[in-house]
Amino acid sequence: MIEPEENMLSITQLSKYYGKNHVLKDVNLSLNKGEVLCIIGPSGSGKSTFLRCINLLEQPTSGAISYRGKNILDKSLNVSSYRQHVGMVFQGYYLFPFKNVINNITMAPMTLLKENREDAEKEASQLLEKVGMAEKKLVYPASLSGGQKQRVAIARALAMHPDLLLFDEPTSALDPELVGEVLKVMKKLADEGMTMIVVTHEMGFAKEVANRVIFMEGGYIVEEGSPKDIFQHPQNDRTKEFLARFIN
Amino acid sequence: MDLKWKDAFVTLGPSLLQGVVVVLQATFFGFILATIIGLLVAICRLSKHKPLRAIFVVLVEIIRGTPLLVQLFYIYYVIPILLDGLLKALGSGSANIQFSALSAGIAGLAINYGAYISEVFRSAILTIDTGQKESGLALGFTEQQVLRKIIIPQALRNSIPVLGNYLVMMIKDTSLLAVISVSELLLRTQTYASQTFETVESYTMLAVVYLILSLPLSHLMKMIENKFHIVR
Repeated sequence: MIEPEENMLSITQLSKYYGKNHVLKDVNLSLNKGEVLCIIGPSGSGKSTFLRCINLLEQPTSGAISYRGKNILDKSLNVSSYRQHVGMVFQGYYLFPFKNVINNITMAPMTLLKENREDAEKEASQLLEKVGMAEKKLVYPASLSGGQKQRVAIARALAMHPDLLLFDEPTSALDPELVGEVLKVMKKLADEGMTMIVVTHEMGFAKEVANRVIFMEGGYIVEEGSPKDIFQHPQNDRTKEFLARFIN
Repeated sequence: MDLKWKDAFVTLGPSLLQGVVVVLQATFFGFILATIIGLLVAICRLSKHKPLRAIFVVLVEIIRGTPLLVQLFYIYYVIPILLDGLLKALGSGSANIQFSALSAGIAGLAINYGAYISEVFRSAILTIDTGQKESGLALGFTEQQVLRKIIIPQALRNSIPVLGNYLVMMIKDTSLLAVISVSELLLRTQTYASQTFETVESYTMLAVVYLILSLPLSHLMKMIENKFHIVR
């Protein structure tokens, strides 16, 4: 089933400038299929920018990203078809407000994968079941809570059958009591073997679900290791300092 | 004052009914074309292609900087002469081009309102959260598809209230078509009033007819607005 050694993503010497502002500095990363990687770090550390470079919502200034051995920074790459393999869940959900829940989910597979309505809706229903939103099929996003919106957004991303899912602070905009329901869904996906990169402030989730944790600050990867390494035996002073804030 | 309401009603009334048909035709086609023009111009003005943007900025400014009345004269009287000259210069002889007054009027309304409506659409498109675009791109839609399937449907819905305003304005602006001899309501009323001297009766009737046309339309637009309103 899962071949743990299969390389999915390989990033070398990634660098990103916004004007003169150097936000990503020599970032290197290798990710295998089935891995769950959590990226932690203070605001402005470059972790979201890093994530957005992976699906090319941001264009890196220099460096290399290869996805399953293919250079995705190649000018001749069809960016849209690459993105179909890499799903993304945003902090702000960004459901389509003029479509009800099920149409939010079926839109991409029907348009991009040419699925017919019947198949797409059947699959969407299964996905909604999975994220615990089956009863809200015909409802419009406006009447959902933040946690519900985010679960629908996850289902929407899954409908494209991505090989890799990127989460950009998926619970940061949620009321504290709604965080759990979203994390539960994400844990379920991780348990099913989904390859995930999660930018998060949820240290509990990172500890419990991640295979590997990266601590970023000032555009650098400061420290990288297993959750145990990072949370129990952090080597770098910056990491210790950052984590200390969460322990209290 | 001796007012002949009955006379005016019996004689001018049926004529105004015919005028209503002309007004509705002009508004219907004028508004649909204006909406299409407005959307296309808005998209061109938001394109990444600089010269294309510049051309449409200039065109929109020309249209907004000149009165509709002048534009109507220009389309009806000047353009045929220019086209004729162009054809002659190309050596294909005199074609004797002439638009019907109504089609020239519809073209004038469509272009004039198209320029204003393009600004409505442009700002509506710009106010859609960039997250909408990014989530569409992240799913694998192309920029084109994002615009067509995600941004424009929302921008159109958000524009409905303002479009409704323009529609009611256009119905009233059809009265300007009288100057290029479209036999709409004003021209019919003027003709009748000058022949019978029933000035008070004629123009009062005219005003009432415009009211009858525009009030239900405002209500209709309200209903459409509510139906398509996106709850946030």
